[in-house]
Amino acid sequence: MTMREPCWVSEQGVLAFVSGDLEPTAELAVAEHLAECEGCREQAAEFLALGDVLPATGPDEKGAVRWDVFEVAPETPLYVAVTDRGLARVSWHQESSESFVRELSGRFEGRTVVRDREALSDVERELSEYFRGDRSAFDLPVDLSSLSDFERRVLEAARRIPFGQVVPYSELARRIGKPRAARAVGNALGHNPVAIVVPCHRVVRRDGGLGGYTGGLEYKERLLAIEGRSDLLAG
Amino acid sequence: MELSASAVRPAGRGEGAPGVEQLRAWTECYGEELRAHLGRMLASAADAEDVLQEVWITASTRPPELGPESNARAWLYRVATNAALSRLAVERRRRAALQSRGDRLRPDALPAPDAALQGADEGTRRRVREAVARLPSKQRRAVWMRWAKERDYESIARALGCSPESARANVYQAMKRLRTELFDLEEDTGR
Repeated sequence: MTMREPCWVSEQGVLAFVSGDLEPTAELAVAEHLAECEGCREQAAEFLALGDVLPATGPDEKGAVRWDVFEVAPETPLYVAVTDRGLARVSWHQESSESFVRELSGRFEGRTVVRDREALSDVERELSEYFRGDRSAFDLPVDLSSLSDFERRVLEAARRIPFGQVVPYSELARRIGKPRAARAVGNALGHNPVAIVVPCHRVVRRDGGLGGYTGGLEYKERLLAIEGRSDLLAG
Repeated sequence: MELSASAVRPAGRGEGAPGVEQLRAWTECYGEELRAHLGRMLASAADAEDVLQEVWITASTRPPELGPESNARAWLYRVATNAALSRLAVERRRRAALQSRGDRLRPDALPAPDAALQGADEGTRRRVREAVARLPSKQRRAVWMRWAKERDYESIARALGCSPESARANVYQAMKRLRTELFDLEEDTGR
């Protein structure tokens, strides 16, 4: 910002002038002042430039997708995103921030994607507590609206599996009323956009095998270890 | 020297619209001081002359509704000052677009003067959209209603469920924050 002398016209006064909110007498005085004062003139021009661009930005009715990245544990950058409905993405497999933003832009087409640490503070806190072993359940709302009905039902059922417990794919299929759909259940879990918070790592094979994990099997093992289930891990 | 609108309105003409006589009176009375005012604002005699012509065009095509007590001089100053600021705003917008950290500085990425006049390029719009998205929701709604919908503070206050003073404060805080974020790049540490 240009350094300027203290001025009898405040920044708010400059904005009021640009907005056409002043009485004629005040308006005339500010107009004359603007011709003299470069700092105020710059403010006024910047407000006006903003005002010209604002209508072209769209009303953002659906709300922005807000993301951030943080280290919940050493060497584990976690990329997370929320919408106004709740947590929408948890991912640790991203090449870079740019690739994450690209993914979000595709998943939430037409919505503004913006980095916003403040909006993610609850998410960061709860996930950090979980990784430290200080949290066994999440209070975060989740936004599963980008998924199909079936995927949503599977993930909502998975979400009810308590900390430290595991359930076979076939049992989860039975719980959503589709006992023969164990394989489809596995696929739906593979599309879980909010790993950890919807604990798809708690779903395993009936024969004691861990099954798959989109985030990489070593992460599934790591999460189960955090939950005290090292007994499930292959020796 | 001040003229009231009624003093120069030619007899027998309809209310409101300035006639040729009135425009001539305004150019004679205020032409020189407006030219000087614009010259100070724009630091260019040629730009000042351009904008002054815009002022006369505005005065003849979108004349003010001046009551007998109205001040034609104040109205002309407002039109002239806003026209000059608009011209400066185009420069600001171009500068803000150029300084965008995210956009690579390619020669063809620079908006042409005509494009800048017609509206911001996509990169600038995106940056503004993102900055707006980072505002607290009340400020975001207030500034959108004010600048995109041109709603007055009373109606914004009703929509937000607050007082008009609070609506005004929310718009001001939003504009202040947007201005800082989009124009003060020296303070932007880039997190």
